[in-house]
Amino acid sequence: MLRRTLVLLIVCGIAAFLVLIGKLFDLQILHHKQYETAAIDQQVRETALDTGRGSIYDRNMNILAMSASADTIYISPAEIKMYNEDPVMIAQNLSRILGADYGKIMEMTQDTKSWYKTVARKVEQDVSDAVREFKNEYNLKGVKIEADSKRYYPYGSLACHVVGFVGYENSGLAGLELSMNSVLTGSAGRVVRAKNAYGTDMLYTKFEDYVDAEDGYSVVTTIDRTIQYYMEKHLKQAVEDYGVRDGAAAIAMNVKTGEILGMVSLDNFDLNNFQEVSDRVKEEMAETTDEVVRKTIFQKAQQDQWRNKAVEEMYEPGSTFKPITVAMALEEGVVTEDSGFYCGGFIQVPGDMGDNGRHCWKREGHGMQTLTECLQHSCNVAMIQIAQKVGAEKYYEYVDAFGFNDKTGIELSGEAGSLWWDKELFCNPYNQTQLAAASFGQTFNITPLQLVRAISAVVNGGYLMEPYLVKEIVNAEGQTVSKTEPTVIRQVISKETSSAMCRMLEQVVCDRKEGTGKNAYVAGYRVGGKTGTSTDTVREAQTGEKEYIVSFIGVAPMDDPQICILVLLDNPDEACGVYVSGGNMGAPTVGGMMADILPYLGVEANYTEQELEFMDRSVPNLVGLPVEIAQQRLIEQGLTYRVIGDGSEITLQMPDANSVVAAQSQIVLFADREPSEDLEEVPNLTGLSYDIARQRMGYQALFINTDSRTLYDSQTVVVTHQSVEPGEKVPHGTVVRVTLTDTDTSTNGRY
Amino acid sequence: MEYSENRLADYSDDSSIGRGSIDVPFLLLVLLLLTIGVVMVLSASFARAYYSAATKHNPTYYFTRQLFFAVTGVAIMLLASRFPINFYRRFSGVLLLFSIVMLLLVLVGGVRANGARRWFQVASITFQPSEIAKIAVILFEAQLICRYKEKMGTFRYGVLPFAVVAGIIIGLLILEPHLSASIIIVLITGVMMFVGGTRLIWFGLGIGAVGLGGVIAINVLHYSGERVSAWLDPFADTSDTGYQIVQSLYAIGSGGLSGLGLGNGRQKYLYLPEEHNDFIFSVVCEELGFIGATVILILFALLIARGFWLAMHCRDRYSFLVCSGVTALLAIQVILNVAVVTNLIPCTGISLPFFSYGGTALWLQLAEMGVILSISRDIPEKKFIKPRRKQTANTDKAGA
Repeated sequence: MLRRTLVLLIVCGIAAFLVLIGKLFDLQILHHKQYETAAIDQQVRETALDTGRGSIYDRNMNILAMSASADTIYISPAEIKMYNEDPVMIAQNLSRILGADYGKIMEMTQDTKSWYKTVARKVEQDVSDAVREFKNEYNLKGVKIEADSKRYYPYGSLACHVVGFVGYENSGLAGLELSMNSVLTGSAGRVVRAKNAYGTDMLYTKFEDYVDAEDGYSVVTTIDRTIQYYMEKHLKQAVEDYGVRDGAAAIAMNVKTGEILGMVSLDNFDLNNFQEVSDRVKEEMAETTDEVVRKTIFQKAQQDQWRNKAVEEMYEPGSTFKPITVAMALEEGVVTEDSGFYCGGFIQVPGDMGDNGRHCWKREGHGMQTLTECLQHSCNVAMIQIAQKVGAEKYYEYVDAFGFNDKTGIELSGEAGSLWWDKELFCNPYNQTQLAAASFGQTFNITPLQLVRAISAVVNGGYLMEPYLVKEIVNAEGQTVSKTEPTVIRQVISKETSSAMCRMLEQVVCDRKEGTGKNAYVAGYRVGGKTGTSTDTVREAQTGEKEYIVSFIGVAPMDDPQICILVLLDNPDEACGVYVSGGNMGAPTVGGMMADILPYLGVEANYTEQELEFMDRSVPNLVGLPVEIAQQRLIEQGLTYRVIGDGSEITLQMPDANSVVAAQSQIVLFADREPSEDLEEVPNLTGLSYDIARQRMGYQALFINTDSRTLYDSQTVVVTHQSVEPGEKVPHGTVVRVTLTDTDTSTNGRY
Repeated sequence: MEYSENRLADYSDDSSIGRGSIDVPFLLLVLLLLTIGVVMVLSASFARAYYSAATKHNPTYYFTRQLFFAVTGVAIMLLASRFPINFYRRFSGVLLLFSIVMLLLVLVGGVRANGARRWFQVASITFQPSEIAKIAVILFEAQLICRYKEKMGTFRYGVLPFAVVAGIIIGLLILEPHLSASIIIVLITGVMMFVGGTRLIWFGLGIGAVGLGGVIAINVLHYSGERVSAWLDPFADTSDTGYQIVQSLYAIGSGGLSGLGLGNGRQKYLYLPEEHNDFIFSVVCEELGFIGATVILILFALLIARGFWLAMHCRDRYSFLVCSGVTALLAIQVILNVAVVTNLIPCTGISLPFFSYGGTALWLQLAEMGVILSISRDIPEKKFIKPRRKQTANTDKAGA
């Protein structure tokens, strides 16, 4: 019996415990890491508490995006029940303070198993103060306030596609907010907390030290707030004037560095309210009662407005691609600036079947032209001949070299690539139809940004630059963490070729008779560029209707190019009154932008005699002067006058001193006479030439001034837009701003 | 058993020897483990207590109650150590009858929880009759063995009476149902028969029968099948059947070598179920690490070894049997509990003596220790270290 007890002693007192200790060794020492990781994984809760998210600045340190603290209000129904708090009273007060639905809060309080129900996210400070006061007044444990942060975009919709926006957890969803998210967040914003199985904080246990808090960095963009504003203003005007239906895009790049100075994609949206869609879409939604259809419309509108046309969509560049063809031919030495090309309006290339071939946009042909004139005319036939001289293989190499087969690597997500033919197919000597189409920019697809980069290389001395949006990254103290230096990808063409291209591109704009881009002219500045009109072949196949994409790529100043701007208008309305083409719609839009941006950039204006003659004048102060001296002053200023009354001194003038009016405007001088108080009806000036418009207004003692851009008198230059609508009643002396456009139909064409 | 049998008297003759002092090492080990246990109840239970409406969110609710039961329990233990072993022997039959009545009553008047009736509740104090049944079985079966000492080799006396006693108790326990208590009754009866001198062949047959029964229960009746599959692969369903054991493994595993520190455990924050009851040892492992857990296991092993050592030095058969049985009961509970929380065996609800929260169970455990201490009074050899001279004198005495 005792021996059996000894057995028990050994088995129960020693052996079994050795087994148990062995098992503990296995679990606690051998598999420690594995179980610890799994345990911590379930025990911690990561909260984005990123009041430390960095800001986004424009290049001059204007804040485009910033974070400020905002609180999230939540209730703990379990604690409300636990501490016998009155859910009705809580729901009533919270709905009063937060403007939230009473019923919804009541419903939340019923779920007494829950410890966390969000009532309102990211409320303003004064609101959370009110909640805090209410909470303290009744000593409520079930009402909770959690520190959170909210993103503010001081400029609303400005550069919305570049800046982007963040979601509830303050993590980027679009634009730089998304692509630079890790930089902006830093390792900071994440607070790791221990939680119990209910999901609330572990008692008496602080786990926050798990991650060192460090503020996110701020991003200084290359965007210039002012340039961006000008671009958006003119692009919106164009969309309105030309009835553009499928959006528009514009990019401005510093040709020497690759810095993106402005990038617009329309429609815009307010970053502070990025979920909101435009009124037009809301009207469309109101038309149907079908909830599914409404939702579809809403979601599509959101996707459309969030898409950045400038980098996320491909298009057929059309004639804006022609400078690339010309540049490579010049570089290869197969043509010179003086080479002659004949356009009979039609050409056939190997691979064209039967009588098929391709027409120039001008059916009757351009006749004999120099290389410069080929670009001015935007002649398709000549481009095919030039491309043939280059040869398909070389052509393809240059397409590669100009970067049309690579993404630009811009710091935005969702960048589109390009669609080009397979090299073998392209270089088939028996079928040059691809080469022919490519020479004038058709049947392949690229992104607007790729074109801006390539054209910048054409004019900047031949250097293909890497475009970039992030100029600098700075820490919370404002010290530079990293700085982006301009990157030359490769030199594609020589300096000589580049300056020849500058001369030719300038002729496209400054030749007032033959230049297809003359509407981009800005008085006093040397602007060059190229028009483009293409059809959206995919959509045409779908709808059977011709839909145009009109564009213009402009460069200035041509003696030392600094900025390249591309404007792209997708599907303008043919019924808008302006002939649909890049020259008529794209060129004036770029011209308008250049007229604002070049002076802002400090580019010095040099006006010709003729331009000075037609430039707007500032009216001097003449009140109190003797009539003769006043008259003398006006003549010196290049203005005319009309004196009313017979006094010897000027008692009143129209318009007021310092008003800016068109040259030769007839200033109305009153000498001891009171003007009539009657209002004048503004006449319709559309279609009138500069002179006629000024005179027509002068009869009614009204005045015009121009945008000082298209300063030359020609019967084809007419008013296309006026700042005060016709028929509106205004007092005497009112100055109306008019936009002049050259409507010479001899250059109308889809080029 | 052969050589020693003659050494043991049938009855302890307290009049001739007189009551000695209680065994100090055994007492110290009990008090040490009890102290650690009560502290661990505080650490393991405060989160649960804080979040529970039943405790009115008082984090020390369980601790204060356990502390009360521990202090009163020690008093009960010391009181129990005062009664001579013949007192218990006299009442063993009555106690068994009492526990059978209680087991019957609990089926009618017990508190229903988790689909079983196992508890009586008086005011806020609960009490499991199965706990009494365990000690009653030991006391009664020891009495049987003393009565049949010569015939223990036969089936009629060495097996059948024990099977009847255990059968009645287990039958009642299965009606509750209460699987873990049934297992303990089976094991403890086995131990009593083993030390009592039942032929080993019956154990072989018994183990075979239990194995067969287990296979039938799992495969045919599907009883506890889930527990077995959760045991084999607890990670197959971490949210339901495997949840408890997975949470326990997380706790034990994250303890590592030295643990997170007393009070710093994280699994007790409502992840680990039964964290202050059956799974309190997981919290011990998490907070005190491999080192602390091993130390506690060694303390238990020392206590158990000391218990058996005392049994082997008893001077009468009944004391020897009771001391072995009570020590074995303690050992079975400790080993099974730790084996369950480390997933060595399928999950079943066995509490850890001196650690698991539960007032009346603690009282009974300490009372059982009191019985061993009472027995230890009659053992002259109980002191580990003593002069050689005295030891020989004692041996002479024992031989007399």
